[in-house]
Amino acid sequence: MAILDVQHIEKHFGPTKVLEDISFSLEKGQALAIIGSSGSGKTTLLRCLNFLERPDHGTISVGGNLIFDAEDPATQKEGEVRKKRLHFGMVFQSFNLFPQYTALKNVTLAKELLSQERPDFKEKKRQILEEIREEGEVLLSRMGLSDRAGHYPSQLSGGQQQRVAIARALALHPDILCFDEPTSALDPELTGEVLKVIRSLAEQKTTMIIVTHEMAFARDVADDVIFMDGGVIVEQGPARQVIEHPREERTRQFLARYAENGGA
Amino acid sequence: MIEFFTSSTFQTVLSALNSGFFKTLQLFFITLIGALPLGLIISFGSMSRFLPLRWLTRTVVWIIRGTPLVLQIIALFYVPGIWKWFNWPSGEGGRMMAVCVAFIINYACYFSEIYRGGIQGVPKGQQEAGQVLGMTKSQIFRHVTLLQMIKRIVPPMSNEVITLVKDTSLARVVSLQEVIWMGESFMKGNSGIAGLVWPMFFTAVYYLIFSGIVTMLLGRLEKKLAFFQ
Amino acid sequence: MKRMLSLLLVLIMALSLVACSSNSGGNAADNGSGNNAGNNSSAGDNAGDAGDADTDSDLSYVQDKGTLVVGITYFAPMDYKEEGSDEWIGFDADMAKLFAQSLGVTAEFQEITWDYKVEELDSRAIDCVWNGMTLGEDVLAAMGTSVPYCTNYQVLVVPANQAADFEGLTSLEGLNVAVESGSAGEEAALALGATTVPVQSQANALMEVSAGTSDVAVIDFLMADSMVGEGTSYADLTYTLNLNDLQELPAEEYGVGFRQGSDLVDAFNAFWAEKVADGTVLETATTYGLQGSVILD
Repeated sequence: MAILDVQHIEKHFGPTKVLEDISFSLEKGQALAIIGSSGSGKTTLLRCLNFLERPDHGTISVGGNLIFDAEDPATQKEGEVRKKRLHFGMVFQSFNLFPQYTALKNVTLAKELLSQERPDFKEKKRQILEEIREEGEVLLSRMGLSDRAGHYPSQLSGGQQQRVAIARALALHPDILCFDEPTSALDPELTGEVLKVIRSLAEQKTTMIIVTHEMAFARDVADDVIFMDGGVIVEQGPARQVIEHPREERTRQFLARYAENGGA
Repeated sequence: MIEFFTSSTFQTVLSALNSGFFKTLQLFFITLIGALPLGLIISFGSMSRFLPLRWLTRTVVWIIRGTPLVLQIIALFYVPGIWKWFNWPSGEGGRMMAVCVAFIINYACYFSEIYRGGIQGVPKGQQEAGQVLGMTKSQIFRHVTLLQMIKRIVPPMSNEVITLVKDTSLARVVSLQEVIWMGESFMKGNSGIAGLVWPMFFTAVYYLIFSGIVTMLLGRLEKKLAFFQ
Repeated sequence: MKRMLSLLLVLIMALSLVACSSNSGGNAADNGSGNNAGNNSSAGDNAGDAGDADTDSDLSYVQDKGTLVVGITYFAPMDYKEEGSDEWIGFDADMAKLFAQSLGVTAEFQEITWDYKVEELDSRAIDCVWNGMTLGEDVLAAMGTSVPYCTNYQVLVVPANQAADFEGLTSLEGLNVAVESGSAGEEAALALGATTVPVQSQANALMEVSAGTSDVAVIDFLMADSMVGEGTSYADLTYTLNLNDLQELPAEEYGVGFRQGSDLVDAFNAFWAEKVADGTVLETATTYGLQGSVILD
């Protein structure tokens, strides 16, 4: 059964339709890439999954449980939304690290706050916080940042910051990890280190949705690819097929334009 | 020179100025203690999504910031009694109370605008990052937004606080005997001494020392917050 | 939660607006009953009327709170302090203490900014102005005033070393004259063609001459007599010329100011008559060198 099932999502900003009848599903351990030009609705779709935007229509289910239904206000209660967000991890285009915390604290903060809700927090506080810290260090070392744990974001390069952000998202063990153009804010020479980390996550069968402009990367790393244009899904299918042998004319045009502009 | 500093005149003047400066300090600290939290409440009002509240708050802020503090002090002290609304307690205490209320309201309005800038200046992405990590609204405010906001407001706040040090002298318009009033009093006569001009100018020493200390403390705070950007 | 807070704030602000408007109503009613100022005796006669409007009398208001707050400025020999002492003394201060005693309350002295003496009274921040106040037209119009108790005239204060230059002067034209803003001295100086420099107090006017920022000053004789000349803080100044005589004007008179329509005026007048009769007034005046100025009939 699919870990994520999205049905008929629609989103308007005032009179503008940003998403229209978006439906797709994702199997556990698979990576899905979403491609498309700016303004095609890719980012809005990710933000809907993370409850940063509220869809006007449609449903979202995770692991077979309906977690959002636009017609049912009971699924949109503020307190529960907070818990439901934890199904998803989010890596932002502009990192959004907390500037006043070290890399390690950025990774562990949310988990520390969540652990306060555990019934045994008071008695085992020291032990719990120690575990969280150790886990954070392990995550940073997986990102190749062991020696940067005590640095503040402003002391890190863009690539390093984005890797801290990935570790931060992983710390809460989300079912699905979302990337919103994770390399778009980076200098070209720094994109490699971030893509390498995402690639290794894919190899470890992390369930991921990646909004990206890196076509070659999408082709190599993702299992499936969705091409969006004007708020609708134009084409979806296995990565290699969509990118190398698109069936739809609009997909072909987009990829051709992309190749011309030197992206790939 | 030394004789001057040990003379009974100097001692008399100094003790009068000290008692005046004590009132200046009282006014300064009471204003801060009242205006810092009140300003935050007003800033929430001026950012409210509830339109009538936002409109009302911004109008009040506009009126308070758009009229001279000295006028507000005079109005607040005399008008309630003239309109038979209520009387301030008689004596220095009542004057101090009225002046403190005027200062707190005035400075809270200035502070509210600084808070507003500070809160709105924290990028939206910070809040969203907290949200996707499952933090509650109050956790986001306490653990994510607050410190960044403080860092943003410390420099403009420092300016206001230094201005407050000097604005306290406006209180003498309703005969609150703060340090400049005391300095001036030796021109017309105080404790049998009259025709002395230097005590008034000597009050500058008090202001300089005090604003120097305040500047240093705020500078230290700013430095303390310099560890992140 | 947030919505609740918002509503609460709106409520508070709305209430304060209502409070403000209801008070402007009270103010209007006040103006209606407050037009009884003509001269001091009619103010006394009308005390009953205003008292009715305000339900209880000023006298009982003062007696209820137990203090008579006396508005003063530092003005030797009327209200001042000896060096090293914190007690207000002087002819006015001593008599004010006796008057308070006769009412069964204690006198509390409050230094005020002279320009705001009427507002201080009306807002009940003080209960009377008793500070060598000249009974000029504006004072008579704005306050309930007592019988006059002391005479005064305006004098010209000049640097001692230039005193001779001002002998026999008949006009102040071409001179920069420091005067207290709104004082009888200002009127006199203007009447004599001076270019006036209005300052905050008579003492500041003396400062102006002493510092050379004004040529001369016009102030009350009583103040000049105690604050200018040998053995005072302004040893380099002296006073000449009785400006009232120069303009052929009658001498000025000092009185005590109360709120308009206050029954304290009658209480004061009765008190004063008694103290003149038993010799206390003359005795106190003599202590401060005012035996020549105090009114005893």
